[in-house]
Amino acid sequence: MFLINDFIALLAANLILTQALGTSTIFIASGSRRKLVATTLVITLFTTAGAAAAYAVDSLLPSQYSYLTLLCYTLTVSLLYVIFLTVFYFISKERFKSVRRYIHISAFNCAVMGTLFTISGRASEDPALSNIGSYVFAGLEAGVGFVLAALILSAAFHKLNSAKVPAAFRGSPAMLVYLGIISMAVWALK
Amino acid sequence: MKNKNQSVFDGLLADNTVLSSCMVISPVIICGDTLRNAEALAMAFTAITLLSVLLCSFIPKRLPYAVKIIIYAVISSLIYIPVRMAAQEFFPGIITRIGIYFPLLAVNSLIVVQTEAKFFRMKRLKMIPALLFYVAGFDAVILITAFIRELLAYGTINNRMVDADTLISGLGQPFGGFIFLGLLCGAYRAVRSLFPAEQSTGRE
Repeated sequence: MFLINDFIALLAANLILTQALGTSTIFIASGSRRKLVATTLVITLFTTAGAAAAYAVDSLLPSQYSYLTLLCYTLTVSLLYVIFLTVFYFISKERFKSVRRYIHISAFNCAVMGTLFTISGRASEDPALSNIGSYVFAGLEAGVGFVLAALILSAAFHKLNSAKVPAAFRGSPAMLVYLGIISMAVWALK
Repeated sequence: MKNKNQSVFDGLLADNTVLSSCMVISPVIICGDTLRNAEALAMAFTAITLLSVLLCSFIPKRLPYAVKIIIYAVISSLIYIPVRMAAQEFFPGIITRIGIYFPLLAVNSLIVVQTEAKFFRMKRLKMIPALLFYVAGFDAVILITAFIRELLAYGTINNRMVDADTLISGLGQPFGGFIFLGLLCGAYRAVRSLFPAEQSTGRE
């Protein structure tokens, strides 16, 4: 029962199904298993590390300069972008060429930036969440939620792109309707 | 670039940012449920995207891709600051309602990704009208979507009550946004397929 509750909570807090963040990226990611794994892992990396950086920004930035939040988040994500590119380059120069594509897609993605703003918003509403542990956990949770939504979409990806679907609705229109139906189910669970 | 013979008008219909490329769809799905939201988003998107892409076009092309992307994101984040201040004057209350989708406009795919893939491959004189039509394409879709969703979900047009017999309240929810946009994309493709010239390009 505990696991079911956790699963429902994860679905209900899902950034794609409830806030439509990163929808276009998930369409690209669901195309193949390789893309799915790589994109979701890199996005989870960005949301988790980005959440820790967002905590630093929120703690250090005085509230009267809140209009600078986006700029600070962009600078921190930029820093992470450079760090990840450098780390992956030194880990494996051969694999770097294929991995860097996913880092480029993920860095300034709506899913990543949206996660940072959502976590920050929740923390400002509930001071109990205003600590680095909560930020990092929420970042990780958002990444796992992205994986979950990608898996749900990939399960139907080939059928939604098959000849059985009318040509006009094949691909992204059918995927949007499908995500809408899943989102409706999640909305009913809340 | 999908087609070498791309016209400057493509962004409006043939290669619409939302309906054809499925980019920048989260604000349309979540905030495109009332005309007031849509007007604020369209205004902000127009100002941020036009100014950012124009300024970014002066960045040297020989810089590494990652460096250019970072500079584009920083420029658009800087442009976001005065745009947000202006929006708070013109649309008080709406900006709070739009929430995180307002700053997210500054890191939209049209600025971060399409600048390199599309706009900066054009000469500046062709790029400016093409960019205007891409922005107008997004604005048109969000305004049309918001008009229909507001009318059907809440029975109002721009917050004014109208005599609507049947309301579909789900259209005001995120899932309603997903389904409505999916149907709109399908209808758009069906209409496009009626024109032989569109079929022969073999897009999508």
